[in-house]
Amino acid sequence: MISAHNLTKRFGDITALDSVNFTIAPGEFVFLTGASGSGKTTLLRLILRELKPDSGTLQVEGTDLVQLSLSKLPQYRQGLGPVFQDFKLLPDKNVWENVALPLQVRSIKPTDIASAVKLALDLVDLQNRTQLFPGQLSGGELQRVAIARSVVGKPKVILADEPTGNLDPKTARTIVKLLKDIHSELKTTILMATHNADIVNHYSLRVLALENGRLIKDDPKGKYD
Amino acid sequence: MTNHLATAISRIRRSPYKTAAAVSIMTMTLFLASVFIILAAGSQVLLKYFETRPQINAFFASDYVPPAQEIDKITTRLQATNLVDQVKYISKEDALAIYKDLNQSDPLLLEAVTAGMLPASLEVSAKDPSHLRSLADQLSREEHIDDVRFAEDIVNSLTTWTRSIRIVGGSLVGVHVLITFTVILLIIGIKVSERRDEISLLQLIGASPGFVAAPFVWEGLLYGIFGAGCAWLVTVIILLYSMPFLVTFLAGVPLLPPPWWFFPGLLGTEILLGIILGGLGGLLAVRRFLKS
Repeated sequence: MISAHNLTKRFGDITALDSVNFTIAPGEFVFLTGASGSGKTTLLRLILRELKPDSGTLQVEGTDLVQLSLSKLPQYRQGLGPVFQDFKLLPDKNVWENVALPLQVRSIKPTDIASAVKLALDLVDLQNRTQLFPGQLSGGELQRVAIARSVVGKPKVILADEPTGNLDPKTARTIVKLLKDIHSELKTTILMATHNADIVNHYSLRVLALENGRLIKDDPKGKYD
Repeated sequence: MTNHLATAISRIRRSPYKTAAAVSIMTMTLFLASVFIILAAGSQVLLKYFETRPQINAFFASDYVPPAQEIDKITTRLQATNLVDQVKYISKEDALAIYKDLNQSDPLLLEAVTAGMLPASLEVSAKDPSHLRSLADQLSREEHIDDVRFAEDIVNSLTTWTRSIRIVGGSLVGVHVLITFTVILLIIGIKVSERRDEISLLQLIGASPGFVAAPFVWEGLLYGIFGAGCAWLVTVIILLYSMPFLVTFLAGVPLLPPPWWFFPGLLGTEILLGIILGGLGGLLAVRRFLKS
């Protein structure tokens, strides 16, 4: 569960998030919408605990992110599966190694890593690309690798920041369908920031809409305004 | 650990120029440290050698054979000063035996000398080199002693040299250690900076600071180990090459060849120093980034 109460974040004079309140139940798929600069990425960075709120509370799966100490931060982040607009794949590691990374940081046995990576790559249908490097893949394939990396550790929450932002409309729909399938199969909570109206309108899922840092809409079967 | 080591090796192979710079500076410093260790240890052995030799030779007149009572009296007077470690009487026959031993390869010199031509003498060792002058003065006042020679200058020079080697060598090595540490810090710092995005990603997916730092620390350790190996090889080659000359130059001094443990010990010391320098450099470089 993700729960924010009066969550506020400022960067100097700019208020990126202004007293935001919401609760996301375990296993929900939620679109986070809003124009550029509305505060979507700031909210995701707060949940990833890249940033600390200036006021209010933020709890993720029982962890109070305001009180979370630096020593507990790695363990907390191991429970999350981040997906980024620019993929953030390591160029000198191949597909298999990129996907294995979240398990390697947890010092999991190599045999267990091998089977988990195989499952994740099967899930995103990239089992034939394991030895290729990011430079040899298309945009859609890169994002599928990033999604495989985000799910390989069986996270409780997947945070996707504009995962379709760099993709053509057709590939974008494939990626969102993939995330939806993963959600159905693994029952993972997914919070996906997007300003792709077609996708949001197509799925009719819960929508949290931000505008100038304020939560202006929380609609269980929302549309993109 | 294997993973981190493999990552470090792969990063080293991908930046050959930085690796060459790091290993070169490490080799230079560790070579300098080896030279310092050898010089400091060698001069210490030399000093000990000269300190334990008879430091004063008091020669009786060459036509005089001192009676046993006179030798005893002189010995008693010397020991009464409490400055003497040992007194040994060398008779004319003993002197001839020593002479023969020293010149056994030259029959002409052996034939020309008889026991009667050589003076009897007393060999005196002082407890401390600083007492040599007063003991020599006392001996020269003895009635039948004709000539007194002592090695004050050698021991004093050696003491000064040993002290100078320690101060100058130690300072030089210290400065080089600092320079090397800074260079390693810079090289690994550049690599950390180049991998800023990778480090950020690792942190976002839950890598601990130790996991992020490990390959960089390994990299520093490997620079240290490679540098130590190269420095050791250069030292051994130079030492073995100059061994024949040194053995002749230091004839009689039990310094060369070095004991069996010397070369492995030197390698161990260099590796240890390299590991400390490289490992610490790597750790500090990445820590600075993780903190910022």
